[in-house]
Amino acid sequence: MFMAALILMVSTGLFFFYLQAVCQKILRRQFAQEFFQSIVNANRLEFPSVRKAIEDFGSPVEYPRLTLTLKCDFLALTYLLKNAANINQRYSYEERLLILYFRLAFASLIVCHWLKLRETPVVLKLTAILEYFANVVGERVNTVRFGNLTASDYLLNL
Amino acid sequence: MVVAVLPTSDKLLVYGLEYVGCGMEAFILLLLAAQGRWRRLKGLCLYVAGLFLLDGLGRMAALNYFGSMSRQYAYFYWLTDVALALGAFLLTCGFFRRACNQEERLWRFVRLLLVFVFVLAVAISALDLTRHYTQLYTGFIVEFSQNLYFSCLVLNTMLYVMIQQLAIDDEELGLLVCGMGLQFAGEAAGLALLHLTSGEHMARLVFSFLNPACTLGMFLTWVYAIVKTPEALSVRSKVGKQASLVAAVAD
Repeated sequence: MFMAALILMVSTGLFFFYLQAVCQKILRRQFAQEFFQSIVNANRLEFPSVRKAIEDFGSPVEYPRLTLTLKCDFLALTYLLKNAANINQRYSYEERLLILYFRLAFASLIVCHWLKLRETPVVLKLTAILEYFANVVGERVNTVRFGNLTASDYLLNL
Repeated sequence: MVVAVLPTSDKLLVYGLEYVGCGMEAFILLLLAAQGRWRRLKGLCLYVAGLFLLDGLGRMAALNYFGSMSRQYAYFYWLTDVALALGAFLLTCGFFRRACNQEERLWRFVRLLLVFVFVLAVAISALDLTRHYTQLYTGFIVEFSQNLYFSCLVLNTMLYVMIQQLAIDDEELGLLVCGMGLQFAGEAAGLALLHLTSGEHMARLVFSFLNPACTLGMFLTWVYAIVKTPEALSVRSKVGKQASLVAAVAD
């Protein structure tokens, strides 16, 4: 009985560990260029400023503004993922997984705040997910705008 | 077998997940063939083919022919479970070999460890099976499978930690290992819950969904690994040492 309880606890912990590892590997995907900046500028997203505040000052902005910023950017980016330059009008499997990962990380941010633990690592994780979403949207928009051509090829063919 | 006692709507969902899993097995084989990666991922190819033949086709055929509550189907189910666990162990060995590609001394040590674990597992399994051969339907078989999957989970986690410690630049291998970890962890947790609650209804329900769902999660992770990651090529240099190159695969 003790062994079964131990196996249950360890296996459950490792299950979530592997799930996180898969999400981290998806987030490490290299894009041809930094597409997210154009999406951030066009939609006035604020998650880069949150990350910059951590990098410059070592701590995020105050908690109520932080959660509102992240939540608004998340809603905006998930809407764009589904509707901007998306023929299928559906999330892909890795996008669904990352959306779930974001929600779980957001819940852990709330728990960290209640327990007065360090919020910085969780905030950096959340901004990394939002940057990935913005890169995916930016890449799709860039492809639609120029087709299979790069921007310079497109201009040469005009 | 656990599915037989579920309500019809739950059974449909479980069978649906299993059929999707079967479809994914065939899809992965076709994907490996189409991308030309089957030569390099021979072990994975063989394991998925084994899953498709034993779990996908074999078990369904046995279920339809003998019925879910028959002794023959029970023997077939648990014997194929042992075969698949053995296949998973061999696949894990293959992943260890790939991770130790640049570290021959480490591989010699790891190989000994894997052989030791295998001999131990076979010895314990043979002893338990000879003692409990007439009692295959008892909680013993659940505990046996739970221990087997947990051992594979521990080995898989050791492999993942080794990959991180050695900073092995092989994204495909990392994702393949994570996929296996998801499947083993879910399976071991479900079996442990079943054993703890002595097969209580809610635990059976959780296990019925967890097993095919985790297998599906493993397949989706593997598809992502095959489609999205760069292919690692191994070449022999002029001095006879092995060097690794990473060539980007076009999207």
